[in-house]
Amino acid sequence: MKNDIIEIRWHGRGGQGAVTSAELTALAAIHEGKYAQAFPSFGPERRGAPVLAFNRIRTDRAVRERSGIIKPDIVVVIDPGLVSLINVTDGLKPGGTLIVNSARSVEDLQQDFSGDWKLAVVDAASIAKKLLGVNIVNTTMLGALIKATEVIDCDSLREPLEERFGARAKSNFEACKQAAENTVISEITPSGDKRPRSFAVEKLPKWNELPVGCVVTDVGNTKAFCTGNWKSQHPEWLDSKCIKCGICSIFCPEGCIKQQKDGFFRADLFYCKGCGICARECWTQAIKMVEEA
Amino acid sequence: METLSVYVPKLVTNKEYIASGHRACSGCGEVLALRYVCKALGRNTIISNATGCMEIISSPLPETAWEVSWIHTLFENAAAVASGIESGLKALKRKHGYIKDVKVVAMGGDGATADIGLQALSGALERGHDFIYVCFDNEAYMNTGIQRSSETPFGASTTTAPSGKVSMGQHTWKKNMAAIAAAHNIPYVATSCSSYPFDIMYKIEKARKVKGPSYIHILSVCPTGWRCPSSDTIKMGRLAVETGVFPLYEIENGEYKMNFDYPKLRPVEDYLTAQGRFRHLTKEQIAEIQQKVIVEYEKIKMLSSRKKGK
Repeated sequence: MKNDIIEIRWHGRGGQGAVTSAELTALAAIHEGKYAQAFPSFGPERRGAPVLAFNRIRTDRAVRERSGIIKPDIVVVIDPGLVSLINVTDGLKPGGTLIVNSARSVEDLQQDFSGDWKLAVVDAASIAKKLLGVNIVNTTMLGALIKATEVIDCDSLREPLEERFGARAKSNFEACKQAAENTVISEITPSGDKRPRSFAVEKLPKWNELPVGCVVTDVGNTKAFCTGNWKSQHPEWLDSKCIKCGICSIFCPEGCIKQQKDGFFRADLFYCKGCGICARECWTQAIKMVEEA
Repeated sequence: METLSVYVPKLVTNKEYIASGHRACSGCGEVLALRYVCKALGRNTIISNATGCMEIISSPLPETAWEVSWIHTLFENAAAVASGIESGLKALKRKHGYIKDVKVVAMGGDGATADIGLQALSGALERGHDFIYVCFDNEAYMNTGIQRSSETPFGASTTTAPSGKVSMGQHTWKKNMAAIAAAHNIPYVATSCSSYPFDIMYKIEKARKVKGPSYIHILSVCPTGWRCPSSDTIKMGRLAVETGVFPLYEIENGEYKMNFDYPKLRPVEDYLTAQGRFRHLTKEQIAEIQQKVIVEYEKIKMLSSRKKGK
């Protein structure tokens, strides 16, 4: 390893276990006799919202830095949908590694990025579904991290996993190993003809532009806030089965399912967080949850 | 089929007083209950909201999800602020003669109600202010990361009452807030659950008409803290009621009335095994909970049958 300190940034969604991944990585590194840190980025993050977690790993001495990580060596993207939402390569050092969970191929995904980086792609979702039975890929992505960067050894994960998951540690470890085998790595080169993507940034008044007392006079202005990018699945209606009872609309925590002019219901995907209540509660099973691409 | 069509849109107003785009977890039962409460309250309402999940998710400055008058208070003084607003409205009425029929509503989570804000709530109830107190009970401090509160049920594992080799999680029983509120001899007390929208709206509408303080305790399912899939929010609330863990009843001027009386309760096992926070419970502990649930359920049933003999 060239650098004496390795910094990792994890991109996930609240509830997907990005923080757990970071903790496990740190524990495994400590198990190997290295020095490590794991910490999440705090904000009003909720289940489904994009979240960040970080790692610092050092071999020579204890990690004394306590600041946030701006220029990581490694970026791990746990949720495939985040690639098109957030600039995941922000601050990634030249020669760094980008690890993405995606069902797309390396060749396809390469088109999205431009920089002097290594790209590792693994379809962790299908591995996790097969071995763990759920689409929670945090431990599976550890395998990809090990394969792509070798910051930690696979075997040193065994003990932290057992402590954390108990009886379920074995299947998690298997998923981790299989992900390591299935990770495809390629190089990306910086190319001038690719347009840098632009990501929408919220335009909000600053504290000193608000009336005295920080009174918000613009009622219901969270309507401009897109919570739709939190979801990993979205509902689809089968109108032939629908009896227009409206149960879906009353049980929607977002209040985003509205009746259309023809009497059928649709969710506003700008707000839908993909909880799946509507599909679960529909009497006639006219709603189906479909995975986000 | 035709008779069934569009029955929810016919019964419930389309108007939302809590806007979409709020930052609640996906599948949040608490914001669902809040939606119903706001729908039933209508526009002429002033809400004083204690710190907690519903405050955090709805008002990240400079944004707000509220479309009614709303004031954020501390954990401990939601009821005190509400009584101040109510007294202020009274003074306005005295000075200017007529003002609109405005209802003052205080809201808080279980921590703000049963732990931190209990003294302010007790004071406001005792002084007899004309207001509604709504408690959204998700059975722990979910906002800060699942710490136990006095409303956390027996046996639940939380981050400050974790289950493990030495402890089985929470070792105290859920505080009976409805009985505490009823002990103040207030006109209206009710319990409800986020999975029963029409029950919530009926009780809030009733409380709105009552002159004097009323207290509504709403069990709000929290998939994050209860450790269950977010799609099972409604199912968990129904199970809580159908197993008798959280009976729905009203106390009007001291008279109990059971709203949903099941001739045969489902075993509590159905409710407990579906949630990750109860995963560690042994058969004996589940049997202990079952026994307690039946005793409590029978107590309320007995109380609600008493008035008929009068």
